[in-house]
Amino acid sequence: MRLRRQRRGPRSAGERVERLLVMLPWILERGQVRLADMAKQFRLSEKELMDDLMMVSMCGVPPYTPDALIDVRVDEEWVIAEVPNMFRRPLQLTSAEVFVLSAMRDAAMRIPGADRNGPLASALNKLKSLLPKDDVGVTVDLRAVRYLEELRDALDRGAEVKISYFTPSTASRSERNVVPRRILESFGNWYVQGDDSASGEMRTFRIDRIDALDFTGRTVPVIEMDDDDETWFADATEFVTLSVSPKARWIVEQYPYVSREESADGRIVVKMAVTSEHWLGRLLLRAGTEASVVEPAKWSGLGARAARSVLARYGS
Amino acid sequence: MPRASSCRSGICATPRAPSLSGVATSVSQAERMINLLALLVERSRPLTLKQIRRELGNQYSEQDEAARAAFERDKSELRKMGIPIEMVTLGGDQAGEGGYTVDRRSFLLADLKLTDAERSALELAIATVRMGALVGEGALWKLGGERVAKTPSTSVNIQMTDDVLVALASGVVERKTLTFTYKGEARKVDPYGLLARGGFWYLVGHDHLRAAQRVFRVDRIASSIGVGAKGSFDRPVGFDLARAVPTERDMLADGEAEATHAVVRVDVVLASRVREEFGEESVVATNADGSMDFSIPCANLAAFKSWLFAMVDRAEVLSPPFVRDHVIGALREIAELSS
Repeated sequence: MRLRRQRRGPRSAGERVERLLVMLPWILERGQVRLADMAKQFRLSEKELMDDLMMVSMCGVPPYTPDALIDVRVDEEWVIAEVPNMFRRPLQLTSAEVFVLSAMRDAAMRIPGADRNGPLASALNKLKSLLPKDDVGVTVDLRAVRYLEELRDALDRGAEVKISYFTPSTASRSERNVVPRRILESFGNWYVQGDDSASGEMRTFRIDRIDALDFTGRTVPVIEMDDDDETWFADATEFVTLSVSPKARWIVEQYPYVSREESADGRIVVKMAVTSEHWLGRLLLRAGTEASVVEPAKWSGLGARAARSVLARYGS
Repeated sequence: MPRASSCRSGICATPRAPSLSGVATSVSQAERMINLLALLVERSRPLTLKQIRRELGNQYSEQDEAARAAFERDKSELRKMGIPIEMVTLGGDQAGEGGYTVDRRSFLLADLKLTDAERSALELAIATVRMGALVGEGALWKLGGERVAKTPSTSVNIQMTDDVLVALASGVVERKTLTFTYKGEARKVDPYGLLARGGFWYLVGHDHLRAAQRVFRVDRIASSIGVGAKGSFDRPVGFDLARAVPTERDMLADGEAEATHAVVRVDVVLASRVREEFGEESVVATNADGSMDFSIPCANLAAFKSWLFAMVDRAEVLSPPFVRDHVIGALREIAELSS
């Protein structure tokens, strides 16, 4: 959920060459691709891509006559490569790529409803020859959660479900009708985003807080969602700044934050979005004496208040 | 758009500046690297640096020292990409001289002959499981696939920065010993595997400093990662990655407190969730108001409190008295905090 921006500085010669060695067989297999599409695919600007293609079209082997050069050209808005060259096959996978594919294989097969005999399984089977003989050493341990399969089914069909949902901030249950639009595993939890009939808006629910689920029988057209990580912060309207000792570092590690700063004595000043006062009180209680509120002032006594409410329960 | 250059002879190696009527200018390093690789791939026999310089025209400096330095730089960059440029000692009339060669089979990917359906399934799977994005995309392009711009309706986010991933992954995949700083100490670790669980990455391996198997939270590695030589260790037979990393339940039980278990009463709103987490066997009693009493491991009191306090006032330790008093003491300390 933490937003990560892609680093974009000037590209080194090595980066340009490595990317070109990936692009050459890729374009050769297709014959021709629109320049704009190809730039987008490889996350380059059209100018960067054009520069790279121009450069590589002047490369080849001695005597560097036209027939000895790599045949790639840009014609109008099309990139064209038809004549096989010395770089017609892609480079072997790097160990990091082998690792990512193995992790992806592990995770994809653990998602409930994964088709163990479908095209993904057979593609992964073919990939085996590229991977080390024994197990690579990566496991993606996705937490099992109830109703995930039902929600995936509802999402695929545009089916509405009635859920009984537990809201920790009020420690209450509510019944809601939801059309699932997107399912996401993030930071170890499964979430479903969907049209919530009670509010008439898109809402996010943690799937492990759904206590009961039924199909209502109503279906609506399936819509495609845009890629938009920001949605996860959309509900938060307030922010808190905490000073956290190294012992309570998990606060910074477990929750998305807006900014953080480490001071010389090892304390971390972190600004994070607050979804509810109850949530923050609970966080401060768990952190105990290792975290304090810097601002806003209205929350400075929140941890102590939470502790007193629990003490009341112990009769002291 | 037609090709923009007219200068195409081996003598005139200034394709970047064709308008300068043959005046030698420095060819960009990227271009020179591609020409070097193309040359070595096309020639089946090893070439000496002298031959390479002649073949490439004046793409390398005319000065021996500068040319050698640039060549070494190019060679090392290409090796980093997994292109092994080998040096062999030549015989015959070049006896004793070093020749460079590259075997295309050693760095080109075999054709997997993926069907369209298989390729689409891979594209979707890579978009579904999101890790260091660029690394996954690189693999996909090499397999002839395309990055899917739309987010699949179900996705899994496993965050990890690319540079850490690359170093750790290469250590695990190629069995290289790693060095890094962890909890203020310099560690040397034989990495057995990486596990993603609960939003975190864990590295499991043999810690030379402790002379034992240890688990490291990857995001707590406080330095860059030093990577040793390939194949420097063997993973123990029967190693089980998932079991090597303790779960939350294991962690609550992993400590030295006097009591191993505490009885905790949980209000009805949370009881079913605790039962799901700790299992039916943890239920000690079900009360008339729907609340339930559970027997929960508490040997690690710090972890136990963190778990307990997440329920705020919806849970209460009933026994043993030592644990109950400890919890009350901790709460009083927090309640007295003056911010």
